[in-house]
Amino acid sequence: MYDLIILFTLLFLGYIFGQMAEKKHFRSLIKREEEYREILTFAKRFPLNNNADQKAELVGGNVVISVDYFKRFVATLRNLVGGRVTTYESLLERARREAILRMKEDAKQKGLNAIVNLKLETSSITKGSTSQVGAVEVYAYGTGLLSSHSL
Amino acid sequence: MDFKNPKIPEGINVSDEHPLKNFLYLFLGVVGVIFLVLLILFFSIGFIAKWIPFEKEVEWAQSIGASVERNNKGDLLQDLVFPNEAETSNNSIEDKLRAEKITAYLQNLSDKLSVAQKLPDSMKITIHYIDKPVINAFAIIGGHVFIYQGLIDVINSENALSMILAHEIAHVKNRHPIVALGRGLGLGVVLSLVTGVGVDGFSTSIASHINLLTSLAFSREQETQSDIDAYNTLLEYYGHGFGAIELFSVLLNSNQSSGLPELLNSHPLSENRIERLNKLGTSIVDKCTDTKLDCSVTPLPSFIKSPASK
Repeated sequence: MYDLIILFTLLFLGYIFGQMAEKKHFRSLIKREEEYREILTFAKRFPLNNNADQKAELVGGNVVISVDYFKRFVATLRNLVGGRVTTYESLLERARREAILRMKEDAKQKGLNAIVNLKLETSSITKGSTSQVGAVEVYAYGTGLLSSHSL
Repeated sequence: MDFKNPKIPEGINVSDEHPLKNFLYLFLGVVGVIFLVLLILFFSIGFIAKWIPFEKEVEWAQSIGASVERNNKGDLLQDLVFPNEAETSNNSIEDKLRAEKITAYLQNLSDKLSVAQKLPDSMKITIHYIDKPVINAFAIIGGHVFIYQGLIDVINSENALSMILAHEIAHVKNRHPIVALGRGLGLGVVLSLVTGVGVDGFSTSIASHINLLTSLAFSREQETQSDIDAYNTLLEYYGHGFGAIELFSVLLNSNQSSGLPELLNSHPLSENRIERLNKLGTSIVDKCTDTKLDCSVTPLPSFIKSPASK
């Protein structure tokens, strides 16, 4: 019985704080993405117009986001029946967008105005340990450019 | 070429389904399926229990008795079922001798009834007599039948006593105790799985199900089956079924008077059962008057009544 009470308390806390954090994060993402819109980012491997770039440097940004208890519980249930793990989808979306934003921030601090060859690495922090609530790390990196010409 | 970073619309990767709705669907679905599986488990244990060999039952009854061996002077199973009452029941040598005498008498009677009921040779009934003023008798696994002095005191003939014993023997013959125990254990497993309580110490928690042995609630069908078998045994043994009438009238009377006797608690007398017993009763009377059988009842031996009730 106590196990059930503890379970539902954790679920409740996970849901309340997890949802609050997620909503807040999405609002902040949308706002900051608008701020960094002028730094154009592409997955293309090479500079878009050769010889015009004055500077090229590695830029990167990484983020670790933890799963809340609620998300994990729902995902565990989803494991039994299959289908879209929607609770993890939003988590990974947040992590990728945040990582890209931090990379753009890095580029801006280095005085760069474009990024090419964007790459994303995703890894699970708590891989293999089943007792912990998992966390996901996303690392975004690319070649930051200072380009005098318009791309 | 003109390169741009267009604004990506929200909600491509994220579904806008409310997480709680998602959770509720999943949770109720999964819990429902688990519940269904456990329900099947619960019923199948009771169903499968019938095919457990009787020797296993005897073995289990012995091992349960041996594992709780703490009081060697008395009957192990009796100590187990009534751990706190074991010491008080053997007050004096006279009482002890009397209890032994009654047990021997009941054992002898039950052996004869077992033959009349065509109990398979592999099944052996062991009678346990309990000197308590409780109106009750019951059967547990391993063919152990318990009968209280209180029940013996309210009846007046050997025929009625035979009806009680035959009823309990019929339970054993039809494997009701092991089925009920199986259901009880199934319920225990289900409860411990659902609540997560007692999963670790499940094997030891079986001991706590021993209480279940004493309050075996047989189903109405099982009681009906045992009643009919017992009645047929009386016909086989005495040539008539008057003992059944006496027992039922005693039970009905004690039901109407102060409170419910324990026998009725563990053997619920539903309206249907009373009706059926009445029907059975009239058919017995009809048979007796029609065929002019010798419908005399056999009296109980005098020593079997408790001194207080004389």
